[in-house]
Amino acid sequence: MNRLSASFRDPSGFVFSHDGFIYRQVNTRYASEYEQLMTSGLYDALTEKQWLIRHEAVQDPSVSAGPDAYKLLRPEQIPYISYPYEWCFSQLKDAALLTLKIAAKALQHDMILKDASAYNVQFVGSRPLFIDTLSFAPYVEGEPWIAYRQFCQHFLAPLALMAHVDVSVAKLLVTQIDGIPLHIASRLLPLKTRLKSGLFSHLHLHAKTQQRFADFAKETTANQVESRKPRISKKALRAILESLAVTINTLQWRPPKTEWGEYYAHTNYSSDAADDKANVLRQFLESIASPLNTIHDLGANTGVYSEVAAAHCVYVVSQDIDPIAVEAQYQKRRATGPNNILPLLQDVTAPSPAIGWRNAERDAFTKRAHCDAVLALALVHHLAISNNTPLADIAAFFADLAPYLIIEFVPKSDSQVARLLATREDIFPDYTESGFERIFGEMFDIEQKQTVSGSDRTLYLMKRSLNADNS
Amino acid sequence: MPRLLAIVFAFSCATLVSGKAFAYLDPGTGSMILQGVIAGVALAWFTIKIYWYKLTSLFGKKPPESLLDDDVNTDGEA
Repeated sequence: MNRLSASFRDPSGFVFSHDGFIYRQVNTRYASEYEQLMTSGLYDALTEKQWLIRHEAVQDPSVSAGPDAYKLLRPEQIPYISYPYEWCFSQLKDAALLTLKIAAKALQHDMILKDASAYNVQFVGSRPLFIDTLSFAPYVEGEPWIAYRQFCQHFLAPLALMAHVDVSVAKLLVTQIDGIPLHIASRLLPLKTRLKSGLFSHLHLHAKTQQRFADFAKETTANQVESRKPRISKKALRAILESLAVTINTLQWRPPKTEWGEYYAHTNYSSDAADDKANVLRQFLESIASPLNTIHDLGANTGVYSEVAAAHCVYVVSQDIDPIAVEAQYQKRRATGPNNILPLLQDVTAPSPAIGWRNAERDAFTKRAHCDAVLALALVHHLAISNNTPLADIAAFFADLAPYLIIEFVPKSDSQVARLLATREDIFPDYTESGFERIFGEMFDIEQKQTVSGSDRTLYLMKRSLNADNS
Repeated sequence: MPRLLAIVFAFSCATLVSGKAFAYLDPGTGSMILQGVIAGVALAWFTIKIYWYKLTSLFGKKPPESLLDDDVNTDGEA
């Protein structure tokens, strides 16, 4: 049994991996709550709507569990684990609304969400799914929502900052594992947000109230704290959830002076070169004999070539540094699919680090991204020239991720590279087609090579060589 | 006398409330108290909205779907 390092906060149970599958143990102390979830009709209602992850209880004696086991669950397996700081605005917003919908549905069945962490949501393609089966507690008449603060920190604060300050402020979530503290969000948000009733009450006033009562627990006894706890009727609690949903739903993010449609038209070009590139990619993918489960498309832009790859594998994780491109792709996938593509934000020059307790709660990109093939189209010049990364390091990075690499070499004669070099000295003597082949050839066998018609660019299908495997 | 009643009320709340067994998060005193402050306003707003939709539905206007669920009964009952 390999207990996952993120699974330690909630004593109700924990998650572990066994034989390549993820399992969840329900501890004895959570037995009655688990049974309430399963028998009250709540589990059925939530899974029928595809809001909550499905699971089956297993009684396989070979699956060893820790002490105190009440049940062992084998949940639906998530193809790729992503984190809130890798989501675009609409992904975080959809995850927030899903959490509120689940809280409201639970209330109907006399249960409540006892936590509202954004990490409890995962995306399967473009569909958000609540994955923590042990987040449900019995609703106690009159109790306020225990997860209200966490919801505001994990969802409302980052979304408000993305909408009203800058979309990149969500990167604060990398350093704030329990969400963005409300007093920081309140200070960063523009004055006009105080005039919006939802943001005023759930965020600005919330931050002030937290500060006002910060030392309350220190100065008073437990009974006095308890006596200050308000009684909130079920109807009022439902109204608070509704108010949060309206506040979240009202938040919009649009990049300055850009319409999504226009953006898509600009990038989704249909020139002969693009068609040819897609054909070469298709041909390369078809020629790979071993089955392709997961492909990572790095520098995917709006996912035009991810879509080509998605027809040849089980799942594509389609990543780009540009929040506009990721947002555009997510909206498109949500509307028209295909649903085996997960669009995510990722800066390949500084990929998501490992964070949290012992640097092991949320895994680094490099730990999660091992896959069957990597697509790196129109990317290498950004890594080699904009980021000064030596070609050998780039080759080693890809060789570490997957046995197959489909990579596009963009030469100095290309207008995009010329633009990158226009304002700086050319210190890249090896950045030539032959230099690229020589250096990548040390890690990979070049299986196929084709120029993209109508351009100076070349596509390669490479297979990690045995030398690289052994190194 | 009102003070005594308040103490009795608070004590009965404290004894009735048994949710602590399931709580592993610190809800934050301020966050709990704020919910008491906004609950009344949220409920009033929510109630007015429901009656407004009931009124407009008399004139054939379809009320918008709730953001929380398409089939949640607005009385908060299952």
